[in-house]
Amino acid sequence: MYNFLQRLSALTSFAMSTLMVLAILISVTTPLIPSSPTHAVTLRSVQTTTGRPVDPFDKTSRSAEYARLTFDVDADLSSMFNWNTKLLFAYITADYRAPGFETNRVVVWDRIIRNPRQAKLRLRKHHNKYSLRNYALTFEGVEAANLTLHINPVPYLGLMYDKSATSIPLSLPRAAGPAGQVGR
Amino acid sequence: MDFMRQANKYGVRSLLLQGLTFLSVLTSAFMIWKGLSLFTNSESPVVVVLSGSMEPAYHRGDILFLHNGYSPIEVGEVVVYKLNDKPIPIVHRVMKVHTENETGKQYLLTKGDNNMADDRGLYNPGQLWIQRDEIIGRVKGFVPYAGMGTIWMNDYPQLKMGLLGTLCVLSLFSND
Repeated sequence: MYNFLQRLSALTSFAMSTLMVLAILISVTTPLIPSSPTHAVTLRSVQTTTGRPVDPFDKTSRSAEYARLTFDVDADLSSMFNWNTKLLFAYITADYRAPGFETNRVVVWDRIIRNPRQAKLRLRKHHNKYSLRNYALTFEGVEAANLTLHINPVPYLGLMYDKSATSIPLSLPRAAGPAGQVGR
Repeated sequence: MDFMRQANKYGVRSLLLQGLTFLSVLTSAFMIWKGLSLFTNSESPVVVVLSGSMEPAYHRGDILFLHNGYSPIEVGEVVVYKLNDKPIPIVHRVMKVHTENETGKQYLLTKGDNNMADDRGLYNPGQLWIQRDEIIGRVKGFVPYAGMGTIWMNDYPQLKMGLLGTLCVLSLFSND
């Protein structure tokens, strides 16, 4: 009545549909798992310099103004790890308003956190990993600047749910004048 | 049931019926794909990761579900973009966003989590930023390693032809 192939196809189709239902259930419930991360970023100083040839592709990098931040990070994100967390992508952005450009967001630092042990961050006097410069050559007219720490949990399976579970607007990397040093 | 019995009696009719079933399966799959494409505003709403540049987040063979939508791109989002001259879509994270006031035009810079440098070396010569319309979609969902079959089929074309052949033969000769 039933041959081997029919049994095999019935079995695989049942297995596939079961797995799909499980996957959907896991995807939907994972964002609901509560967590209580703590986090704080403090800015120590901002220095601006002109013309660091950091980008071989960008010809304007010799004449552009770059900001070098020094900051501390204290965070305990270990509670954000649950059974469906592959890693946390933590990153700090600088966002500001500039003349002609309503929103500017630049990632200045990031870290991939792969287990709860690495999730306790205590960083002292770290600098930005990635260059911070304006789309224009200088930071002239830049206002409403913030430093924000974002956490993006990457699951083993499922939805990339709301990435900035945590964000603290902070201090202004305000630079002015022609290539001078600007303190806080 | 009567109809089925009759179709089995007349060989030509049953063959036609098989053909029709086969075509309806093909067209409905195509319709679902295009419907998803319309809904997500993305030319390919499901993609397979082809490179290791986003490791450890995404590995080769992972399936990503994309949603493009119409809203502006945010920094930190993982997006899939396709440059005008290059056929292969790339999955990377957005690192810089500058949005112009009047036009709402976005200047975006991307980077792979596993790469040391940003993507300016991958862009077209002289291109420093990518635009909103070069982005196919943002990654919203993720199934690990489920697309490994696609990668094998790409690497070994004989496998693809063999699989397609057996599928066609089976669909024609199955009595159902």
